Amino acid sequence: MTACTRCETALEAGDLRCAICALPVPAAAQPSDGKPRAQVLRCGECGAAVAFSAEAQAPRCGFCGHAMAIEQPVDPIEAARLRLPFSVDREAAERALRGWLGRRGWFAPEALSSEAVLESLTPLSWAAWLVNAEALVTWTADSDAGANRSPWAPHTGQVSLGFHDIIVPASRGLREAEARQLIPYYELGRAVGVDRPLGAGEVASAIESFDAQRSAARRHVQDAIEATAKVRVEPQIPGRRYRNVHVACLLERQTTERIALPAWILAYRYRGNPYRAIVHGQHADVVFGQSPIDWSKVGALLAIVATIAAIVALVVLLRLA
Amino acid sequence: MTFACGHCGAGLQFTGVRTETCPYCASPNFVERPPAANQPHPELVVAFTGDASVARRKLDLWLGSRTWFADARIKRARIEDLRGVYVPAYLYSAVAHTEYTVSIGEHYTEIETYETTGAEGKKQTETRSVTRTEYRPLSGNHVGYVTDVLASASAGLAHGELQAVEPYDLLAVRRYSPAIITGWIAEEFSREPDDCRRVSRGDAVDEVGQRLRRFLPGDSHSDLAWRTTVSWESLAPILVPVWVLAVRYREDKAALRVVINGQTGAIAGKVPLAWWKVSLAIAVAAVVIAAVIVAIVSPGGPPG
Repeated sequence: MTACTRCETALEAGDLRCAICALPVPAAAQPSDGKPRAQVLRCGECGAAVAFSAEAQAPRCGFCGHAMAIEQPVDPIEAARLRLPFSVDREAAERALRGWLGRRGWFAPEALSSEAVLESLTPLSWAAWLVNAEALVTWTADSDAGANRSPWAPHTGQVSLGFHDIIVPASRGLREAEARQLIPYYELGRAVGVDRPLGAGEVASAIESFDAQRSAARRHVQDAIEATAKVRVEPQIPGRRYRNVHVACLLERQTTERIALPAWILAYRYRGNPYRAIVHGQHADVVFGQSPIDWSKVGALLAIVATIAAIVALVVLLRLA
Repeated sequence: MTFACGHCGAGLQFTGVRTETCPYCASPNFVERPPAANQPHPELVVAFTGDASVARRKLDLWLGSRTWFADARIKRARIEDLRGVYVPAYLYSAVAHTEYTVSIGEHYTEIETYETTGAEGKKQTETRSVTRTEYRPLSGNHVGYVTDVLASASAGLAHGELQAVEPYDLLAVRRYSPAIITGWIAEEFSREPDDCRRVSRGDAVDEVGQRLRRFLPGDSHSDLAWRTTVSWESLAPILVPVWVLAVRYREDKAALRVVINGQTGAIAGKVPLAWWKVSLAIAVAAVVIAAVIVAIVSPGGPPG
């Protein structure tokens, strides 16, 4: 793998420009006999001279209709190269769900844990980018430090930050909020090649394909790094309260790995209605999702609150009278 | 420069272009030659995404949607000479380090007292809360890459004309190959790279200014001044697709020149106004204003 000469970001096969700093990647030197001359491009089928067709996005022969294959921009749907094996098996995931259903609090129906019917329990290796980069980050913010008449004073600064193993979701199957809850608990040190055969008893799962083409992915990854940088500069801001944090990053040496991360997607039904819950693929104690609410309990609570409020109002009125 | 047609051998003149169609055998020829200092080899190219009929439809829609003030003849004008041209340009990118100084406005509220005259003519003191702005000096740095800056290297299409139909979707850029330009007009590079670099650098500094305005904290700002130092500049020769055409709407006037982005379909052109319509609108507005003034003044009668 070669690197961009300007920002040292790793270049990938087919890149025409660096993903970070847009420096064009030089073409391989073309052999030339040095003599300028006029040429025509000939149809591979009938030998007639052909012109580029905007419709076909390739040279197409006006006589026989044959379109020539030419080098197209490389913009593949990405695929994971690494995967994290599951360490939570099917039984453990189901146990985790039952335990979670039993801890749904006072508003949940009492029979939830016993009456919930597990409809499906699917192991999913969901797609994410794993990003490493370094950056010079300049920032501005308002904070209460040095404030005069206004409660806010402007501040600015710059700091060099390293971003290590930032996980950026690229999943179709998981919602962004769901992915965010899973991310902090992955042990990335246990990643293996996606082609490595499964060990004995290891959970087999579908490896999800990425939700974006390579070109669109870059914008996504850069936005994620900027969002991370915004959080990481917060300790630099003087004072106790701050607002309007802005960052401008000069990214360098970015590498992007594509990884598949394990999670159990559970669909269960309670009294006819479907719900969804997710169990982390490496830590069975990380469980979250939707669960039904017993509206009769909510109604009872509201009635109690309303009664108390009415009594208080009555007492106040009587006193005033 | 004269070359022999690659198909029939007839003599072909290539003046300022790197493609030419042979008048004898209709073969689309292109010139391949080693790059020279004043004649770089294109590195990248953005391909046309539609043919002339697509451009014509876009143009008809655009002409039809011009303002009421436009010369009405423009809408049924004759389109002359619609040409798809690969325009030479330089694609500039750089690292930009900027030092700025600015005055940041931070709002605060104050309770102020003021006097009013009550219903019985007595003076009363009341309070109200007002928002005021405190200005604080701030100086600092801003860093970033400036990418995707295009500067026209064409003799026929000025920098401003190209800018008017930008942006191009550069995610769809390709490595230059004669196969992409064959059969179209591809103009040769005819402006000095140093001139284009200077123009691009100016655009890059403007771009930094726009980013700075979004970067600043506070509720408002004034007196923004910045000095940008660019390093690691890159200037890549690129061909971008443009439809250029002349619209002749009056025999006694020069044709209206319209430029269409050959990739996105964005259109730019200065549509002439019908001055009698503008004058009429001004006259109507003046009459209305006069009528309003008269209506306001007359019920009060003459002063005194």
